[in-house]
Amino acid sequence: MRKTLLALVLLCVLFTSILFSNTTLRMIQVFASPERTKIIENIIEKFEALKPGVKIELISPPYETAVSKVNIMMSNEEPLDIVEVSDWLLSGLVSMGVLENLERYITRSEQAKYWVDGVVEAARTVNNTAYIMPNAIYVKTLFYRPDILEKYNILGAPRSMGEMMAICQYITNGRDQYGYSYRGIDPVNFMDLVLCSFFNDIDPACMYKTTSGKIIFEDPRALEGLKFYIELYHKASPKDSISWGFDEQVNAFVSGLTPILFQDPDTTALLNYLLTTGVYKTAPLPVGPGGKVYPTFGFGGWGIPSYSKNKDIAWEFIEFFNLPENAAYFCKEYGALPVDSRIYESDPYFGSAVFDGWAAMFDDPVTYQITAYPIDNELWGEWFRLQGDIQERLLMNRMTPERALQEFTNFWKDAGI
Amino acid sequence: MRVKKSVKKTLKALALGLYLAFAIAPILWIFLTSIKPPEDIYTFPIKYWTEKPSFDAYRYLFGFAKFSKYFGNSVFVTMFASIVSTFFALFSGYALSRFRFKGKGFLLIFLFFTQMIPAYLLMIPQFQMFSGMKLTNNLFGIIIIYIGLGATFSTIMSKGFFDRIPVSMEEAGLIDGCTRLGVLFRITVPLLLPGLAAVFSFSFVNNWNELFTAALFLDSDAKMTVPVALYSFISKAGIQWNVLGAGIIVALVPTMILFFFAQKYIIAGLTQGAVKE
Amino acid sequence: MPGSKQKKGAQAPFSSPEMRPHHSLKKKSRRFFFLLALFIPTFSVIGFLTIYPTIRGFILSFQNYTVFNIRRIRYIGLQNYERVLQSGDFGLILWNTFVWIFFSVLFQMLLGLGLALLMRKPFKGRGIYAGFVFYPWALSGFAIGLIWRWLFDGSFGIINDILIRLGIIERGISFFSDPVLAMVAVITVNIWYGFPFFAIMILAALQGIPQDVYESAWMDGANPINTFFKVTLPFIRPVLINTVLLRVIWVMNYPDIIYAMTRGGPAKATEILSVYMINIVFYENNNFSKASAVGVIIISILMVFTTFTYLVTNTKRMEL
Repeated sequence: MRKTLLALVLLCVLFTSILFSNTTLRMIQVFASPERTKIIENIIEKFEALKPGVKIELISPPYETAVSKVNIMMSNEEPLDIVEVSDWLLSGLVSMGVLENLERYITRSEQAKYWVDGVVEAARTVNNTAYIMPNAIYVKTLFYRPDILEKYNILGAPRSMGEMMAICQYITNGRDQYGYSYRGIDPVNFMDLVLCSFFNDIDPACMYKTTSGKIIFEDPRALEGLKFYIELYHKASPKDSISWGFDEQVNAFVSGLTPILFQDPDTTALLNYLLTTGVYKTAPLPVGPGGKVYPTFGFGGWGIPSYSKNKDIAWEFIEFFNLPENAAYFCKEYGALPVDSRIYESDPYFGSAVFDGWAAMFDDPVTYQITAYPIDNELWGEWFRLQGDIQERLLMNRMTPERALQEFTNFWKDAGI
Repeated sequence: MRVKKSVKKTLKALALGLYLAFAIAPILWIFLTSIKPPEDIYTFPIKYWTEKPSFDAYRYLFGFAKFSKYFGNSVFVTMFASIVSTFFALFSGYALSRFRFKGKGFLLIFLFFTQMIPAYLLMIPQFQMFSGMKLTNNLFGIIIIYIGLGATFSTIMSKGFFDRIPVSMEEAGLIDGCTRLGVLFRITVPLLLPGLAAVFSFSFVNNWNELFTAALFLDSDAKMTVPVALYSFISKAGIQWNVLGAGIIVALVPTMILFFFAQKYIIAGLTQGAVKE
Repeated sequence: MPGSKQKKGAQAPFSSPEMRPHHSLKKKSRRFFFLLALFIPTFSVIGFLTIYPTIRGFILSFQNYTVFNIRRIRYIGLQNYERVLQSGDFGLILWNTFVWIFFSVLFQMLLGLGLALLMRKPFKGRGIYAGFVFYPWALSGFAIGLIWRWLFDGSFGIINDILIRLGIIERGISFFSDPVLAMVAVITVNIWYGFPFFAIMILAALQGIPQDVYESAWMDGANPINTFFKVTLPFIRPVLINTVLLRVIWVMNYPDIIYAMTRGGPAKATEILSVYMINIVFYENNNFSKASAVGVIIISILMVFTTFTYLVTNTKRMEL
């Protein structure tokens, strides 16, 4: 009797344990698009096939609301097990105390050994501690349209800022042909790329300081750079591009209106869809009078909320996602640069002509000095907005470059870098 | 005299035509965009008409982008919330119109006041409340919020409609021995139907298009509503205009159908009680 | 609605003299509970979803809520208000808000009034016509903003293309690189979106005017313009005032179109208070405290404005 009872109890325990071995992980991405969602879902499916009993639910908020949504969800400790952390989100989430320190996982991981240069530093942007496992990097390069440039007997891409100015001015007719298109809504760091290229001593750890610790906006070279930047707009850019977003900017490139573009690698997915192979090419960013140019390392990665109850399985998935074959698939289809150096060697796509620009830049880290933004500064978001606003005033001639530099300097003195 | 009249008629037709052109030109452009192949969307010079019209974007919308699921969610949430808030407004509008009591003026001012509150002021407190009650990522949570969004304006409107229905009919019913509720449903509501159609349409339109609360409060793909899904076609790497355009067109269908049926009521409904036209 | 017959109808019947003698104490309390039951659904929803969060939002405006402070939220007094009111752009933002509301609502009303007068007498196909002409009001704000941003574009926009083809302009106007033109553009779109609402409300009010009033006016030999000012306008006046008030409130709190079109740019030329509020949330580390302070300022302005309007226009009825 007692034995049967015991057996019954054991059976019950076994049954419930089987029942509850079904774990559902909740995962959120912040750069969603219908295609990207599909790609991540395919990787999830593979993982679920390997791990019966584990389900992963992918949350894909609209891109423009994603950062706020993640912040609000995490601050309310909404159930989440894997969270995509963009460079923008990282310092806020860390100070909220909701991101798990991943050092213990990463130090044990095989994959970290193969990371390309700069990834470790990116992962450890805040507190010198890795709170994320980077899944892709985003570095700007020069996109150009040889077919359009050839019409003006221009071969190849501009190698320096001066050449770029000359080409852009030469082809601009003020009607249906311009050189470069600006961007007003969320202006991504084009101004910084131009302005900093007038320097030869930018601090790799901070875009806005020189190696001697001076704020760059106080330096006379910044004025030259800014004037160059304004001139390019007035002489070679559609006037309304001051208010363009990514969409208009890329479409101006696709339609041939502006055959030169600085953009992130995720543009390749869209361009591959809209243009046939070979119609666009990439080249290294043009170097400035300082002989250098300072691209930055944008990154995204997977983090684990500190309140998650499924950290180990979450980590298993993150490692699975970053396996070379999965990461290669993700980066190729979505358009991003892999963090794993093995992928560049094994996958021919990343050696193809599309990647000429990046390959050349990564080969010469002195000229193309990867430089970090002070994104761990609390005022980074405000800076972004201030810079965008002043950019518009500058281009509309409503503010002098001298005054703008003064405002920039004051901002960073107050913010403390 | 006749000439003058026909001139007048032509002018009127012309004015009506101008209004129509002003109203529909943008959506016409979006429709033309939705049937273009991607390479014809942003061209220089602009292509108004593509030589290769196709409904690929619509196929993509319902195939790859699972739009029918979102559409179903939206219909469910919108109908549910609009019906409930219309009922709520029916009761409170009735009370505000038919009863005289202390503080009525205050209540009316209060209702107007709630219209002044910006949505972003409510967002964090609402989310914290709903998160605490485990009502995030829940269609019913969204329905509750939409009922709240609609209840105020619906009440203001429905009070207006009640005011226009002569009370003599209700008094007659009361004398015949019906209860107040009986009178309300048997005598007043049938007269009020057009007005209720208007109230319902207003909340329907608002709920159908609500984006920011839904984007914040709903997580799962299986629970997305149409506006959130449309918003998702804007990604870091640009806008898929043909698909977004197709989505906008499809999302317009329910409200357009509602307008066709309800416009008679909306116009007539607001004129309840007017004896002559 | 404003006809004399309806005014009589608006009197509360259950407190009319004939019925009052029947009121016993029991009846009174029954009446009270009945009334309460009618109000409970609506007002509990409003209390729970609007008033309570508003109070919380009000409290939030005196705190330091940002993503960086979530673990150390504390009261900081009036600092958020000070930061908002003392920021160099606040005057500009207020002015933008005023311009945005004034021109949007004015032209929404005029166009709506025009359309309502045109549609007043039934004509063949009026139903279908109404469905099409009113549809802008059925689109979502962000979709409207995106569509029109494209239409207004200096290079790819059909507005410029059509103007060029018609020979009116020689090259594309870049609306969004000029502060004034950008404001013109966003207001145009808001007019487009909002005129159907006015048309519907006014149309309804127009149909409530008894025909005999017109007949007697014509007998007196009034011309159409005279009739409009002497008969039509006084009759629809309450509806006009209330609709205008409601629209002012809504338009003030309606950032969607501007946000999708310009984000408040170029150089804050189209930034209104509600857009400013969103920008604070998005670009200042989700600073919901500062945003709430802006929200409270919005409410205060609207309250002053509404009270003022009611006093000046001597309107007593807050209804539609």
